[in-house]
Amino acid sequence: MYIRKKITPIRLILAIMAAGLFASCSTEIDINSSNQDVPIVYCVLNSADSFQYVRIQKTYLVDQAALNTPPDQDSMLFQGEIVVTMERWSAGKVMETFRFAPTNEIPKDSGFFPYQKNILYKAKIKVVANQTYRLYIYLGSKEKVLYAEASSLGKLNVIDPIQLQQRKISLYDGNNYTCRWDPVQNAGVYQVALRLKYKETIGNSTRIKYLDWPQPFASPGSDVDYLSMDVSGARFMHILQDNLKAGEGIVREVIGVDFQIVSGSLEMKYYIESTSPSAGALMEKPVYGNINNGIGLFCTVARINVNDLLLSSVTIDSMAYGQFTRNLGFLDHTLDRDSTNNFK
Amino acid sequence: MKVMAMKKSSIIWIFAGLVLFIACTKTPIIPNGGTDTSKAKIVGTMEVEFRVPGSFLGPSRVLRADLSIAKDAESLYKGHFLETANVYNSKLMYTFDLTPGVYYYQAGIICVALGDSCSAAGFPGGKFGMKWAIGTVEVKQDATVHVIPQFTN
Repeated sequence: MYIRKKITPIRLILAIMAAGLFASCSTEIDINSSNQDVPIVYCVLNSADSFQYVRIQKTYLVDQAALNTPPDQDSMLFQGEIVVTMERWSAGKVMETFRFAPTNEIPKDSGFFPYQKNILYKAKIKVVANQTYRLYIYLGSKEKVLYAEASSLGKLNVIDPIQLQQRKISLYDGNNYTCRWDPVQNAGVYQVALRLKYKETIGNSTRIKYLDWPQPFASPGSDVDYLSMDVSGARFMHILQDNLKAGEGIVREVIGVDFQIVSGSLEMKYYIESTSPSAGALMEKPVYGNINNGIGLFCTVARINVNDLLLSSVTIDSMAYGQFTRNLGFLDHTLDRDSTNNFK
Repeated sequence: MKVMAMKKSSIIWIFAGLVLFIACTKTPIIPNGGTDTSKAKIVGTMEVEFRVPGSFLGPSRVLRADLSIAKDAESLYKGHFLETANVYNSKLMYTFDLTPGVYYYQAGIICVALGDSCSAAGFPGGKFGMKWAIGTVEVKQDATVHVIPQFTN
């Protein structure tokens, strides 16, 4: 005996719903949405350079573990038409318009990301002080226009050091060097960097090498005649000790030092603050950006280089015989390792 | 009971002494890796008032260039200095902490004017010509000796 039930419309609907529920109970879940191809743009207008560059890339998506799988070169670049233009505005009027052209003249450092094809956009632009610059990027493949605006900085005037080789730089324990410069209009952050140049001889091979030592960022003060930063002589010796390799047969001869003083716009200050390690409870900070319809940064910097300054004989002797650097093979100021100086 | 009280006070004194002992052996931390300068040194101070002599050249045409100290005249001549100060256009006074004794100093100024202006102002060799003031000074313990280098025309 069996019970025969009549197929009613309600029963049919319930059966279809049950079948749909059964079919949807798959254990595979796709956690990645499709790649949004978000544009990433970086442009730092430098008043010390005659050519300016724009870097345009996009977000990418890989199925494997992202930290182990470098992206494909083409997945980081937009295909199709890309038009990059910039305008200089002053007193509410466009004063100049610039068109950028693609170039691969600047090689990218090797590393995790692909570096064979480093496409940048380049234009000959002499940045004028205290002006507004507007960046427009048209991406044909997305039919989208990106836009950003930044103000150029005022003139950077460095007071110390000056380009005078006779005025030698002393950097040793107890003797710091003070860099001074005038406050720059529109600037939000400053940095001084020191580059030590030296000749290194190992066996028969002699090479000119350098060691860069960037100083901490400095913020502009208020109502000050000039801004300054002390470069620590004691720290200088520790930097040498920490960064140069000691070894048998290595002979080093000091050539001199270069100073680089850089001022950055407020946008750069915000970007540095948002990307610096968090000191408070908020560990994940949003990264600052000012690119409309994309992510990235458009900002301005002014830079002054004071090159080929000489170190004082006391500094060179400290490098040769000082407690922290005596094993690094530096020659003293007489180009010897047998100084008659009384430095201990 | 008295014996117990003695023991208690002894324990407290031993504990306090131990705490003091531990606290007193703390190694000083020197910021930025500098060396410990807290040890008392027997020094005197040499204070140099580095005036740039006036001339018909503008003040930005004659600059301070060098201020160095040596133990004797030969070392000064050979450039084997004990100290060399960082000199600046905007700084007049420079100080050196030295052990008591006699020292030789040299102060140099440089002319950066164009044309024959530097020669006319007595700087040998024209632009980047230098004038030197050299002298001796006796530094005494816990005293400050004031020096004003004198440049000849």
